Parts: sequence; C-alpha cells; structure tokens
Amino acid sequence: MSDEIKSCSPTPDAEPTATRSTVPMWIFSLTLVLIFLGAVYFDHHGGWFDAKVYGPYSSAEELDSYQPKSGAAALLAQGRKTYETVCGICHGTDGLGKPGQFPPLAGSEWVNEKDFKRLAQIPLDGLNGTVHVKGQEWNASMAAMGAALSDADLAAVLTYIRSSWGNNVSAVTADDLKAVRAGVAGKPAINGEQQLKTIPE
Amino acid sequence: MKNGFGVFIAAFIALGASWCGFVLAPAVQLSTAKQTTVLNSSDLYPIQRTGDATLGLQVYRANGCAACHTEQIQQDGVVCDVILTGAGKNPSAVSNLISTLKLTGLTKEQADGDSDKITAAGGKVEIHIVATGADIARGWGVRRSVAADYLYDSPVQLGGIRVGPDLADVGTRLSNANWQLLHLYAPRSVVKNSAMPPFHFLFESKKIGDVPSPDALQLPKVFAPPAGYEVVPTDDAKNLAAYLLSLRQDVPLYEAPFTPLQVSTNAPAK
Repeated sequence: MSDEIKSCSPTPDAEPTATRSTVPMWIFSLTLVLIFLGAVYFDHHGGWFDAKVYGPYSSAEELDSYQPKSGAAALLAQGRKTYETVCGICHGTDGLGKPGQFPPLAGSEWVNEKDFKRLAQIPLDGLNGTVHVKGQEWNASMAAMGAALSDADLAAVLTYIRSSWGNNVSAVTADDLKAVRAGVAGKPAINGEQQLKTIPE
Repeated sequence: MKNGFGVFIAAFIALGASWCGFVLAPAVQLSTAKQTTVLNSSDLYPIQRTGDATLGLQVYRANGCAACHTEQIQQDGVVCDVILTGAGKNPSAVSNLISTLKLTGLTKEQADGDSDKITAAGGKVEIHIVATGADIARGWGVRRSVAADYLYDSPVQLGGIRVGPDLADVGTRLSNANWQLLHLYAPRSVVKNSAMPPFHFLFESKKIGDVPSPDALQLPKVFAPPAGYEVVPTDDAKNLAAYLLSLRQDVPLYEAPFTPLQVSTNAPAK
C-alpha cells in the first residue's frame, strides 16, 4: 500500500506538468490515407449532391444514360408525352375520341393512310366541316393545334398515333415533317372532307 | 477552465459541421422538390392521397406501425435486358446473331452495343431496364424509393426495423381493401403464422340488428365472433386500410428508371 502511494507521488510537493511533443508520423499518415479513401468513396457514390442521383447510380451522367431516349422507343415516348398534353384532351389518351364530339384516331382511315401528308396538314392548318371516320359522320372544328409544336414534337406525335392502339403505319421523321410544313404552314383551315381529299397523298 | 474559449469554438465547429451535413445540405437538395411526372408520360407523380388515406396515415402513426414496418425499398443495382420485338426481313440471320449474344443482365453500354448489332441485322429490339436487389427479389417493390415518393406525407413513416414486411408498395401487392381489414382484425386468418398482433380495438363487435351490416367482416370460423354477433370496422380501420392501399411506388421516375412490364398507374387501388 505504502509502496503504491510512494510510486504515484515520489515527491509530495512536485506539481504534475505536461510537456509538448510532436504528433507521431503514423497518425499523420493514417489521417491522410483516410481522407484520400473518403474522397474516392465520395467521388464514386456521392453524385456531387445532385438531388436526382440515388444509388445505384453514381453520377448525373450515368443516370441520364439509363433514360430511354434513343431509337424508336424514345420517339414513341416523346410522342406520347406531347399527345397526352396537347391532343389527348379531345381525342382521348386511348385514341378513341369522344362519341359524337371528337373522332377516334384508333383505326381511323385518315391516320392509317400510307402517306402522312394529309394527316400532317390537319394539325398544321386545322380542320372544319364534315369528315367521315370509321363509317360515322363527324362535324367538329379543330384548330391548328400542331402549328406551335416543333417539327420534332409533331413528328413524334404523328409517329405515336400511327403506331398505337392497333394502328400500324410508317413513322414520320422531323425532316419529312419540315418539308410538309414548309408547303402548308399558315394556310386557312381545311374545309371538310372534300378539300381534305384534294390534298395529294 | 483553462482554454475555455478554445473548447467552445471547437465544439461549435463540430456541431456546426454536423448540422450542415444533416440539416442544411438535405434542405438545399430537397426543400424545393415539386410534383413531377412519371417517366415518359404526362401523369403527375406523386398524387395527393385521398382524404380517408390521409387520415389513415395518422392511424398508422398513432398505432406505431412504423415500429415494425418500413416504407423504403432498397435497390442494389440496375441491369438491362435486350428484348427482341421483331425479327425483320431476315429472321435466320437475327436468330443466329442472338444465339451468340448475351441478352440479359447487361450494363447500359453492353445493351446498347447488342441493340445496335441486332438492329443492323434487321431485327427490332427494346431495352428493358430492371432494378435489382434483395427487396425487389422479395417482391416488395419494382424500384428503389426516392424522396419524391414522400412529397405529401407528413410525417414520413420511413421506419427502421423490419419485423414485418416493407409496406412502401403494399397497395400494389395487396390491393384488396377487404383483405387488409381481415388482416388488421385477425392477421392469422389470412397469413399463416403471422407475427402481427391483432388490432381488435379498430373494430366493433356488436349484436346483429334487424339487417346485418354490409361492412361486417367475413371471418373464418376460428376467428368469427359468437353466433348473433358481427365484427364491423370503425372509421379508423377503414381509413387505415385506405392508407395502406394508397401506398404505391410502382411507376418509373427520372431518378429511378425501370421498364414497367404492364401499363401501371399511380391511381389508388379500387
């Protein structure tokens, strides 16, 4: 007992003191290595604080590469989006129109024509008067809903309606549409089926 | 205290740094989050829960459901599958080509490469994006949960412990309100060996009047009340069932893309 006390305070009146010494080199190195590993991890998993980037994606570019946007599927997706915003209100998101008010696009002979020039002119100029669709007479007036859409958007919409709901005719490219638009833009609305039929196929 | 000011500054910096990390950074990232649209569609997401489901969230909260159930689906990875949709004019060339290619479990770059090869041979393909992970393999969801899923929830019932299954997408999985009510009243009447306690107090057991209640539960004999009595859900039970059916995370979003197998919708289940 007395030995312990002795060993703790060999001289009773000595003040304990703390001295300064340098940080060991290994702690310094370990800290640098941990900071480096943390930075590497952050680079791979952090997404640079982008609110849209979640795991398993590590960057906005990688996430973007997984968005369906190339090829036919993307054109259809773009067309569907525009169709549902602009056209679907009247013609229905199912393409069936509204009985007695707006003609259907699904199975419509005008949509399923081999060439798209007549079809394209309807949204570009508008259509008044009487038309026959699927054996029924429709008398509604459509404004030039497509005049304000870009070539790419309108081409995508036409491609979408020409290949959806059982319709199965060729796709429309933005360049084709540009050529058609140049010829007909700004004309007065098409007046009924008679005039629609005079448009060359 | 010696160096009191230094200790104060050090503590302030330490707490301030964690406040910046845990409060400020998420606020900067997500406080401006708004309703968005489903990937490749004009459907809005998320849609506000119906009134009864909003009340049901409070019943869920009050009964501590989040103590045993999470509402967060995890996703470990993402793979691409190349699906042939048309053989084109030269089917034998396409089928020969396909037999040499690996078409499932690819990265996006590999899938794009295969897709280009098949397209060059005249075939038509689609690339399907599939989320992978243990939760998805269990059938708890089709993609990971993201912040947008919880935009209208207050408070968010994320939960942390999974004594029971994850409920983030339960409205898609178990979309029958009557099943949900039976399960709340007597879990073992529909799930064998369920560990969930029965929530009898959300139901009223009463004498059948002149006309039996149309809401009365059709319970199996073991769980049924004595003859002449019927079990009727209270408003709380109905709201909770409505909330459970409104839990759906089944649509692709920009931040969590996947290819839906069927046309899905974020409309509440009927």
